[in-house]
Amino acid sequence: MICCKECLDLLYDYLEGELDQETTKSLDEHFEDCPPCISFLNTYKSTTALCRETLNQVEIPEAIRDNLLKVIKEQKENN
Amino acid sequence: MSFSQPKEDKEIEEALVRKFQGGDLEAYDKIAEIYQKKIYGLSFNLTRNQMDAQDVTQEVLLTLFRKISMFQGKSAFSSWVYRITLNASYMKLRSKKKEPNVSIDELMPSYNGAGFQQEKIQDWSENTESLMFTNETRDVINKAVDLLPEKEKVVFLLRDVEGLSTEKTGEILELTVPAVKSRLHRARLFLRKKLSNYFEEFSSRKAEK
Repeated sequence: MICCKECLDLLYDYLEGELDQETTKSLDEHFEDCPPCISFLNTYKSTTALCRETLNQVEIPEAIRDNLLKVIKEQKENN
Repeated sequence: MSFSQPKEDKEIEEALVRKFQGGDLEAYDKIAEIYQKKIYGLSFNLTRNQMDAQDVTQEVLLTLFRKISMFQGKSAFSSWVYRITLNASYMKLRSKKKEPNVSIDELMPSYNGAGFQQEKIQDWSENTESLMFTNETRDVINKAVDLLPEKEKVVFLLRDVEGLSTEKTGEILELTVPAVKSRLHRARLFLRKKLSNYFEEFSSRKAEK
């Protein structure tokens, strides 16, 4: 069986589906027998989802949007 | 706001760019409308400051207006916009003193001699729902991302937050695909560790009650 380190080093490609069949199988087998690595895998995936969700909440404040429109308008008029 | 660009969008955008290069100012308005949220979002996530993000967005929109003739179409228009946005954001960051980043290596997984995990790993992935939208959780996530070293942070923002492909991220940053992958993996490991500390502490707080 491959060890945890090998498994976690390959985690990125494993999740992207970029490993060959044999390597994927050996990771699957490792996960079956290793609860800490399953926990690691789940929390690794959750981390990406949580961060994406949180950082994508950035909205342009109304006042800034107005300023930007003004700047664009001025630039077009000066053109 | 994830931004993996469908083909039709790309064609519409290229047509707008050509129109604007030909002098159509309405096409510029549409380009500005499409991009201002992405430019603002990325620069805000890099600088964590509304005024800086406003300055960067303004500067990028003006650059697009003034320098559109310099866009040759060798790479995707969006890649060009992202590159200008990153450069403007870095100029902002460099003009300020910044706290040194923590060492990312200290937060990588640790193994025993046989390559097996040494830490006790808690699975908090099922328990994030109730915490997801609290201000505290948002703060923890934002602070963790802020602590990422610049090299890893920018890859993480483009690939995981903006949702760009590995190839496109590489094109924008002039990195090879393996380099993008390795930086992204390190960023995710770092963030996982930071979030683990928080969620594990949270569940032990709850258990004490």
